[in-house]
Amino acid sequence: MMDPDADLVRSAGAGDAQAASALVRKHLPRMISLARRMLNDAAEAEDVAQEVFLRVWREAPRWKPGGAKFETWMHRVALNQCYDRLRRRREKADPDAGINIADPAPLASEAWLAQQRTVKVGAALAKLPERQRSAIELVHFQELTNIAAAETLEISVEALESLLSRGRRALKVALADVAQDLIGDADGVARL
Amino acid sequence: MRKDVPMDRERFDHLLAAYGADFARWPAEDRSAAEAFAAANDDAVSAALAEEQALDTALLSQTVAVDSPELLTARILASQKRQRAGLDWRAVAALAACAVFGVVVGYSGGMLAPPADDEAAYFASAFEAPLYEFDEGEEG
Repeated sequence: MMDPDADLVRSAGAGDAQAASALVRKHLPRMISLARRMLNDAAEAEDVAQEVFLRVWREAPRWKPGGAKFETWMHRVALNQCYDRLRRRREKADPDAGINIADPAPLASEAWLAQQRTVKVGAALAKLPERQRSAIELVHFQELTNIAAAETLEISVEALESLLSRGRRALKVALADVAQDLIGDADGVARL
Repeated sequence: MRKDVPMDRERFDHLLAAYGADFARWPAEDRSAAEAFAAANDDAVSAALAEEQALDTALLSQTVAVDSPELLTARILASQKRQRAGLDWRAVAALAACAVFGVVVGYSGGMLAPPADDEAAYFASAFEAPLYEFDEGEEG
Protein backbone atom coordinates (compact mmCIF):
# COMPACT_ATOMS: atom_id res chain seq x y z
CA MET A 1 0.00 0.00 0.00
CA MET A 2 1.23 3.49 -0.86
CA ASP A 3 2.45 5.47 2.12
CA PRO A 4 0.25 8.59 2.21
CA ASP A 5 3.13 10.60 3.66
CA ALA A 6 5.77 9.49 1.17
CA ASP A 7 5.69 12.63 -0.99
CA LEU A 8 5.69 14.98 1.99
CA VAL A 9 8.59 13.18 3.63
CA ARG A 10 10.59 13.15 0.40
CA SER A 11 9.98 16.86 -0.15
CA ALA A 12 10.71 17.79 3.46
CA GLY A 13 13.91 15.79 3.25
CA ALA A 14 14.89 17.80 0.20
CA GLY A 15 14.41 21.03 2.15
CA ASP A 16 10.87 21.99 1.14
CA ALA A 17 9.64 24.18 4.00
CA GLN A 18 5.99 23.87 2.99
CA ALA A 19 6.18 20.08 3.06
CA ALA A 20 7.84 20.23 6.47
CA SER A 21 5.08 22.50 7.72
CA ALA A 22 2.39 20.19 6.33
CA LEU A 23 4.00 17.20 8.06
CA VAL A 24 4.10 19.03 11.37
CA ARG A 25 0.51 20.19 11.16
CA LYS A 26 -0.67 16.73 10.19
CA HIS A 27 1.16 14.73 12.84
CA LEU A 28 2.07 17.03 15.73
CA PRO A 29 -1.31 16.91 17.53
CA ARG A 30 -1.30 13.11 17.52
CA MET A 31 2.26 12.93 18.78
CA ILE A 32 1.46 15.33 21.61
CA SER A 33 -1.70 13.49 22.61
CA LEU A 34 0.09 10.13 22.55
CA ALA A 35 2.90 11.42 24.75
CA ARG A 36 0.51 13.24 27.06
CA ARG A 37 -1.42 10.06 27.78
CA MET A 38 1.74 7.98 28.12
CA LEU A 39 3.48 10.46 30.42
CA ASN A 40 0.63 12.40 32.03
CA ASP A 41 2.68 15.54 31.65
CA ALA A 42 1.86 18.22 29.09
CA ALA A 43 5.30 19.85 29.07
CA GLU A 44 7.12 16.55 28.70
CA ALA A 45 4.70 15.57 25.95
CA GLU A 46 5.71 18.65 23.95
CA ASP A 47 9.38 17.77 24.49
CA VAL A 48 8.72 14.29 23.14
CA ALA A 49 6.91 15.67 20.11
CA GLN A 50 9.82 18.00 19.40
CA GLU A 51 12.31 15.15 19.71
CA VAL A 52 10.24 13.08 17.30
CA PHE A 53 10.40 15.82 14.68
CA LEU A 54 14.13 16.30 15.18
CA ARG A 55 14.44 12.63 14.28
CA VAL A 56 12.14 13.19 11.31
CA TRP A 57 14.34 16.00 9.97
CA ARG A 58 17.43 13.84 10.40
CA GLU A 59 15.94 10.79 8.73
CA ALA A 60 13.80 12.41 6.02
CA PRO A 61 16.67 12.98 3.54
CA ARG A 62 17.32 9.26 3.43
CA TRP A 63 13.75 8.04 3.80
CA LYS A 64 13.00 5.10 1.52
CA PRO A 65 9.38 4.27 0.75
CA GLY A 66 8.56 0.59 0.83
CA GLY A 67 9.63 -0.12 4.38
CA ALA A 68 7.54 0.70 7.42
CA LYS A 69 4.96 3.41 6.87
CA PHE A 70 6.18 6.82 7.96
CA GLU A 71 3.34 7.19 10.46
CA THR A 72 4.16 3.80 11.97
CA TRP A 73 7.79 4.80 12.30
CA MET A 74 6.82 8.09 13.97
CA HIS A 75 4.66 6.31 16.50
CA ARG A 76 7.51 3.96 17.27
CA VAL A 77 9.92 6.86 17.81
CA ALA A 78 7.41 8.63 20.05
CA LEU A 79 6.75 5.52 22.13
CA ASN A 80 10.47 4.90 22.55
CA GLN A 81 10.92 8.46 23.73
CA CYS A 82 8.13 7.91 26.25
CA TYR A 83 9.65 4.62 27.41
CA ASP A 84 12.99 6.36 28.00
CA ARG A 85 11.36 9.06 30.08
CA LEU A 86 9.28 6.56 32.05
CA ARG A 87 12.41 4.53 32.72
CA ARG A 88 14.23 7.62 33.99
CA ARG A 89 11.30 8.31 36.31
CA ARG A 90 11.50 4.78 37.66
CA GLU A 91 15.22 5.17 38.21
CA LYS A 92 14.46 8.23 40.28
CA ALA A 93 12.06 6.04 42.27
CA ASP A 94 9.14 8.30 41.61
CA PRO A 95 6.72 6.08 39.70
CA ASP A 96 3.81 8.44 40.09
CA ALA A 97 5.65 11.49 38.79
CA GLY A 98 3.50 13.29 36.32
CA ILE A 99 0.27 11.71 37.51
CA ASN A 100 -1.41 14.86 38.54
CA ILE A 101 -4.48 14.12 40.58
CA ALA A 102 -6.41 17.31 40.30
CA ASP A 103 -7.76 18.90 43.41
CA PRO A 104 -11.46 19.00 42.72
CA ALA A 105 -12.69 22.54 42.47
CA PRO A 106 -16.17 23.37 43.70
CA LEU A 107 -17.87 22.30 40.50
CA ALA A 108 -21.45 21.36 39.94
CA SER A 109 -21.89 17.72 40.94
CA GLU A 110 -22.17 16.41 37.38
CA ALA A 111 -19.02 18.17 36.28
CA TRP A 112 -17.28 17.05 39.45
CA LEU A 113 -18.20 13.42 38.76
CA ALA A 114 -16.94 13.73 35.21
CA GLN A 115 -13.68 15.21 36.47
CA GLN A 116 -13.31 12.41 38.99
CA ARG A 117 -13.90 9.86 36.29
CA THR A 118 -11.28 11.44 34.07
CA VAL A 119 -8.74 11.42 36.88
CA LYS A 120 -9.46 7.84 37.89
CA VAL A 121 -9.44 6.44 34.39
CA GLY A 122 -6.21 8.31 33.71
CA ALA A 123 -4.62 6.90 36.85
CA ALA A 124 -5.76 3.38 35.94
CA LEU A 125 -4.23 3.76 32.47
CA ALA A 126 -1.02 5.10 33.95
CA LYS A 127 -0.67 2.02 36.11
CA LEU A 128 -0.86 -0.42 33.22
CA PRO A 129 2.39 -2.04 32.12
CA GLU A 130 3.96 0.05 29.35
CA ARG A 131 3.37 -2.41 26.54
CA GLN A 132 -0.31 -2.85 27.39
CA ARG A 133 -0.71 0.91 27.62
CA SER A 134 1.05 1.36 24.30
CA ALA A 135 -1.22 -1.18 22.62
CA ILE A 136 -4.34 0.57 23.93
CA GLU A 137 -2.89 3.95 22.97
CA LEU A 138 -2.24 2.89 19.39
CA VAL A 139 -5.48 1.02 18.75
CA HIS A 140 -7.96 2.93 20.88
CA PHE A 141 -6.69 6.50 20.82
CA GLN A 142 -4.49 6.74 17.74
CA GLU A 143 -6.94 4.51 15.87
CA LEU A 144 -4.24 2.59 14.04
CA THR A 145 -5.27 -0.65 12.38
CA ASN A 146 -4.30 -3.83 14.18
CA ILE A 147 -1.61 -4.45 11.57
CA ALA A 148 -0.11 -0.95 11.87
CA ALA A 149 -0.19 -1.12 15.68
CA ALA A 150 1.49 -4.52 15.70
CA GLU A 151 4.11 -3.22 13.29
CA THR A 152 4.74 -0.19 15.49
CA LEU A 153 5.30 -2.39 18.52
CA GLU A 154 7.26 -4.89 16.42
CA ILE A 155 5.07 -7.80 17.47
CA SER A 156 2.55 -10.12 15.81
CA VAL A 157 -1.15 -9.28 15.61
CA GLU A 158 -1.82 -12.16 18.03
CA ALA A 159 0.61 -10.68 20.54
CA LEU A 160 -1.02 -7.27 20.09
CA GLU A 161 -4.45 -8.76 20.80
CA SER A 162 -3.06 -10.40 23.91
CA LEU A 163 -1.68 -7.06 25.15
CA LEU A 164 -4.99 -5.33 24.41
CA SER A 165 -7.05 -7.98 26.19
CA ARG A 166 -4.86 -7.97 29.26
CA GLY A 167 -4.84 -4.19 29.34
CA ARG A 168 -8.59 -3.86 29.03
CA ARG A 169 -9.14 -6.57 31.63
CA ALA A 170 -6.83 -4.79 34.06
CA LEU A 171 -8.62 -1.51 33.45
CA LYS A 172 -11.99 -3.08 34.22
CA VAL A 173 -10.63 -4.50 37.46
CA ALA A 174 -8.97 -1.22 38.42
CA LEU A 175 -12.13 0.75 37.76
CA ALA A 176 -14.51 -1.68 39.42
CA ASP A 177 -14.37 0.08 42.78
CA VAL A 178 -15.33 3.42 41.30
CA ALA A 179 -18.55 2.14 39.77
CA GLN A 180 -20.69 4.34 41.96
CA ASP A 181 -18.83 7.45 40.81
CA LEU A 182 -19.25 6.55 37.21
CA ILE A 183 -22.95 7.16 37.01
CA GLY A 184 -24.68 9.42 34.62
CA ASP A 185 -23.62 8.09 31.25
CA ALA A 186 -24.38 4.73 29.76
CA ASP A 187 -25.84 2.06 32.00
CA GLY A 188 -22.80 -0.02 31.30
CA VAL A 189 -20.44 2.52 32.81
CA ALA A 190 -21.89 1.83 36.22
CA ARG A 191 -21.02 -1.82 35.77
CA LEU A 192 -17.33 -1.09 35.51
CA MET B 1 -13.86 -12.56 7.68
CA ARG B 2 -10.71 -14.61 7.77
CA LYS B 3 -11.21 -17.76 5.78
CA ASP B 4 -9.48 -19.91 8.36
CA VAL B 5 -11.19 -18.53 11.47
CA PRO B 6 -15.00 -18.74 11.56
CA MET B 7 -16.90 -16.16 13.56
CA ASP B 8 -18.25 -18.10 16.48
CA ARG B 9 -18.74 -17.15 20.11
CA GLU B 10 -15.15 -17.93 20.98
CA ARG B 11 -13.74 -15.80 18.17
CA PHE B 12 -16.21 -13.01 18.88
CA ASP B 13 -15.31 -12.92 22.58
CA HIS B 14 -11.59 -12.96 21.78
CA LEU B 15 -11.87 -9.94 19.49
CA LEU B 16 -14.31 -8.14 21.78
CA ALA B 17 -11.91 -8.47 24.70
CA ALA B 18 -9.08 -7.02 22.60
CA TYR B 19 -10.72 -4.28 20.56
CA GLY B 20 -13.78 -3.31 22.59
CA ALA B 21 -17.33 -2.79 21.47
CA ASP B 22 -16.73 -0.45 18.54
CA PHE B 23 -16.51 -2.69 15.47
CA ALA B 24 -14.65 0.11 13.63
CA ARG B 25 -11.59 -0.86 15.70
CA TRP B 26 -11.85 -4.53 14.87
CA PRO B 27 -9.73 -6.15 12.17
CA ALA B 28 -11.22 -5.17 8.81
CA GLU B 29 -11.61 -8.79 7.72
CA ASP B 30 -13.74 -9.62 10.79
CA ARG B 31 -16.02 -6.60 10.97
CA SER B 32 -19.00 -7.59 8.88
CA ALA B 33 -19.06 -11.13 10.27
CA ALA B 34 -18.90 -9.73 13.80
CA GLU B 35 -21.78 -7.34 13.18
CA ALA B 36 -23.88 -10.15 11.72
CA PHE B 37 -22.97 -12.40 14.64
CA ALA B 38 -23.92 -9.73 17.18
CA ALA B 39 -27.23 -9.03 15.45
CA ALA B 40 -28.16 -12.69 15.30
CA ASN B 41 -27.28 -13.61 18.84
CA ASP B 42 -28.75 -13.52 22.28
CA ASP B 43 -28.73 -11.37 25.35
CA ALA B 44 -25.44 -12.80 26.54
CA VAL B 45 -23.69 -11.31 23.51
CA SER B 46 -25.47 -7.98 24.07
CA ALA B 47 -24.38 -8.00 27.72
CA ALA B 48 -20.77 -8.70 26.76
CA LEU B 49 -20.88 -5.86 24.25
CA ALA B 50 -22.38 -3.50 26.83
CA GLU B 51 -19.63 -4.31 29.32
CA GLU B 52 -16.91 -3.45 26.81
CA GLN B 53 -18.87 -0.41 25.67
CA ALA B 54 -18.72 0.81 29.25
CA LEU B 55 -14.94 0.71 29.21
CA ASP B 56 -14.86 2.39 25.80
CA THR B 57 -17.03 5.17 27.20
CA ALA B 58 -14.80 5.59 30.23
CA LEU B 59 -11.73 5.76 28.01
CA LEU B 60 -13.37 8.57 26.05
CA SER B 61 -12.59 10.79 29.02
CA GLN B 62 -8.93 10.45 28.12
CA THR B 63 -9.33 11.76 24.61
CA VAL B 64 -7.17 14.83 24.42
CA ALA B 65 -8.12 17.47 21.91
CA VAL B 66 -4.80 18.94 20.87
CA ASP B 67 -4.29 21.74 18.43
CA SER B 68 -0.87 22.34 17.04
CA PRO B 69 0.61 24.75 19.59
CA GLU B 70 1.91 27.66 17.56
CA LEU B 71 5.07 28.19 19.58
CA LEU B 72 6.02 24.52 19.46
CA THR B 73 5.20 24.35 15.76
CA ALA B 74 7.45 27.34 15.13
CA ARG B 75 10.29 25.77 17.17
CA ILE B 76 10.01 22.50 15.26
CA LEU B 77 10.00 24.23 11.88
CA ALA B 78 12.97 26.36 12.94
CA SER B 79 14.83 23.18 13.84
CA GLN B 80 14.18 21.89 10.32
CA LYS B 81 15.69 25.05 8.84
CA ARG B 82 18.74 24.74 11.08
CA GLN B 83 19.04 21.12 10.04
CA ARG B 84 18.96 22.09 6.38
CA ALA B 85 21.42 24.92 6.92
CA GLY B 86 23.71 22.49 8.70
CA LEU B 87 23.44 20.01 5.86
CA ASP B 88 24.32 22.69 3.33
CA TRP B 89 27.23 23.91 5.43
CA ARG B 90 28.53 20.38 5.86
CA ALA B 91 28.29 19.66 2.17
CA VAL B 92 30.22 22.84 1.36
CA ALA B 93 32.84 22.02 3.99
CA ALA B 94 33.21 18.47 2.69
CA LEU B 95 33.62 19.70 -0.87
CA ALA B 96 36.19 22.27 0.25
CA ALA B 97 38.08 19.60 2.15
CA CYS B 98 38.13 17.41 -0.92
CA ALA B 99 39.36 20.29 -3.06
CA VAL B 100 42.22 20.97 -0.63
CA PHE B 101 42.98 17.28 -0.51
CA GLY B 102 43.06 17.12 -4.29
CA VAL B 103 45.53 20.00 -4.47
CA VAL B 104 47.78 18.34 -1.89
CA VAL B 105 47.62 15.05 -3.75
CA GLY B 106 48.40 16.84 -7.01
CA TYR B 107 51.48 18.52 -5.55
CA SER B 108 52.65 15.30 -3.97
CA GLY B 109 52.57 13.47 -7.27
CA GLY B 110 49.88 11.09 -6.13
CA MET B 111 51.82 9.74 -3.16
CA LEU B 112 48.93 10.48 -0.79
CA ALA B 113 46.17 9.15 -3.05
CA PRO B 114 44.22 6.32 -1.39
CA PRO B 115 44.19 2.96 -3.10
CA ALA B 116 41.46 2.74 -5.71
CA ASP B 117 39.54 0.12 -3.70
CA ASP B 118 39.08 2.53 -0.83
CA GLU B 119 37.66 5.38 -2.88
CA ALA B 120 34.04 4.53 -2.37
CA ALA B 121 34.45 4.25 1.38
CA TYR B 122 36.47 7.44 1.39
CA PHE B 123 33.79 9.45 -0.34
CA ALA B 124 31.10 7.83 1.74
CA SER B 125 32.84 8.92 4.91
CA ALA B 126 33.45 12.37 3.49
CA PHE B 127 29.89 13.05 2.41
CA GLU B 128 27.35 10.76 3.94
CA ALA B 129 28.07 9.90 7.51
CA PRO B 130 28.68 13.38 8.92
CA LEU B 131 25.68 14.86 7.14
CA TYR B 132 23.22 13.20 9.51
CA GLU B 133 25.17 13.44 12.70
CA PHE B 134 25.83 17.07 13.30
CA ASP B 135 22.51 17.84 14.96
CA GLU B 136 22.56 15.17 17.63
CA GLY B 137 20.99 16.46 20.80
CA GLU B 138 20.79 19.96 19.54
CA GLU B 139 17.43 20.70 21.10
CA GLY B 140 18.06 18.65 24.25
